[in-house]
Amino acid sequence: MTAVIEARGLSKSFGNTHAVRGVDLNIEPGRIVGLIGPNGAGKTTVIKAILGLTAFDGELKVLGLDPRTQRNELMKEVCFIADVAVLPRWLKVSQALDVVAGVHPRFDRKRAEEFLAKTDIKMDRRVRQLSKGMVTQLHLALILAIDAKLLVLDEPTLGLDLLFRRSFYDNLLNDYFSKERTILVTTHQVEEIENILTDVLFIQRGKIVLDAPVETLGERFVQVVPSAANVEQARALKPFHEREVFGRFAMLFDGKREAELAALGETRAPSVADLFVALMSRDDGKAVAGAKEAA
Amino acid sequence: MNTLLVLVRREVWENRSLWIAPLAIAGFILVMALFGAIHAGDQGVFSIGSSEGPKEEELREVLGNVGKQEGIYGMAMASFTMFHMMVLSIVIFFYLLDSLMTERKDRSILFWKSLPISDVQVVSSKALTALVVAPLFVLLVSAATQLLFGLIWWVRMHGSPIANVLIPFDAGTWLQVQAGSLVMAFVSVVWLLPVAGYLMLVSVWVRRNAFLWAVLPPVAAMAGEYLLLRTHYAASFVGRRLVGDFQIMDSPEFSGAGDDGLAEFVSRAGSVLVHWETWAGIAAAVAMFVAVVRIRRYRDDS
Repeated sequence: MTAVIEARGLSKSFGNTHAVRGVDLNIEPGRIVGLIGPNGAGKTTVIKAILGLTAFDGELKVLGLDPRTQRNELMKEVCFIADVAVLPRWLKVSQALDVVAGVHPRFDRKRAEEFLAKTDIKMDRRVRQLSKGMVTQLHLALILAIDAKLLVLDEPTLGLDLLFRRSFYDNLLNDYFSKERTILVTTHQVEEIENILTDVLFIQRGKIVLDAPVETLGERFVQVVPSAANVEQARALKPFHEREVFGRFAMLFDGKREAELAALGETRAPSVADLFVALMSRDDGKAVAGAKEAA
Repeated sequence: MNTLLVLVRREVWENRSLWIAPLAIAGFILVMALFGAIHAGDQGVFSIGSSEGPKEEELREVLGNVGKQEGIYGMAMASFTMFHMMVLSIVIFFYLLDSLMTERKDRSILFWKSLPISDVQVVSSKALTALVVAPLFVLLVSAATQLLFGLIWWVRMHGSPIANVLIPFDAGTWLQVQAGSLVMAFVSVVWLLPVAGYLMLVSVWVRRNAFLWAVLPPVAAMAGEYLLLRTHYAASFVGRRLVGDFQIMDSPEFSGAGDDGLAEFVSRAGSVLVHWETWAGIAAAVAMFVAVVRIRRYRDDS
């Protein structure tokens, strides 16, 4: 099957700052991929490159098209929500439908109207009169009604309360996602999306540090909380991350050593958030600061 | 639906001053016609502003020097359109300055860029709105205003001596005024293309204070040149780019070329269109348009 996103040595510099340094990506159709990294790791730059919003070096094909030269073609197949605040504030809800219906060949107006009918959003309202959550619902209604192959979400739920965040992702899964569609999402709220993701991409200082399907994470990584007597023994096995919780130590190991580790204490598969914190703090203090915030 | 039309409609939705301003002016003219200070007396006496004034004969004498009734009517109607156009040019000036800055300021550019719309289409829709749609709308509003004005004038002045001197409507003259206005609007738009391009270039480049960025450089150039060299080349260049089409139309080769009829007016206007400066301006405008499209492609404030 052809990849939805294929990148080789994707790079981007702003002066002397290397925002993205040789990123390789291979995202297959029908996946929900979380691009996760601390602030300034290069998430947004990668997303912008994919969407043809920024120039870059290296090779990148999105749905077989080059975002630099074939952006107009590409945007018929790709949707994105960059942030909750980007719908123009003067736009009326009905006008938003008119505009998208007028310019997008794959927009199903009826579908958007059906979705909006389930919300409190009224057609004659302007975006500026809607709450932040409603603006996101409106944007989601527009996106869900577009028959696109790739949906890119950059911090789509930033600044929303838990109820809106939860229903946003529920709607996305129930009304949008299918085998032919791919979703690429960046977020700070790792815990909230980790159970909908099929793949994770961790990015740190412009480099991909982990690229794996979620179901393989449990096979590869193990978290152990050794009993008090076994702490030193466990430490000798060189965990790549260790943190103290209520006087006990949670250690993360890379590689399949579950049997060996089970003898030392409780083991379990680490959550994506645990892994994120661990991997981001492995490198240096700078990354840790960012990782805390991101997690 | 045609993408460009959708985008033009979006411009009209966002920039309501484009259609509110002409309607407000039309309203102002008509209210003045209805309740204005022109008072018509009963005994062949009329006045402007006061209750006493010249008699009908005196009025005829004065107006006789200006021309026929149709000529006066035409001049009055053309002045309405000129008033409309002057206000429109101010509205368009600010519209173009904001046209490509606001979408970056409120970050809605990311929404527009999420749709299958090219930069050429977006920039074209804004230029089209400013230079074609808005002027045509204003001409229509002005034409309608003149008809309504005629109706109001006819009702108000019916049976008064003014009605014997000033006609409320003349179909032939009215049509000539509309045709002349259309020609003048076309010539003005063509002449001002590079100014429009410059304003859009400022708009796509700056993050805020587009007005200052647009006005300061030419003003600084004029002031600097005068202070250092005591010359006025920058000032005359700027002036020429703004009103040069009128200067060309008024050039001496046309003096005494006959009555100021529509045919002569059209030939004067035509002389602007074949003037080399017009074509230099068009070339500059095309270059700036291309630059605007390219800058919008990757101009990124987020």
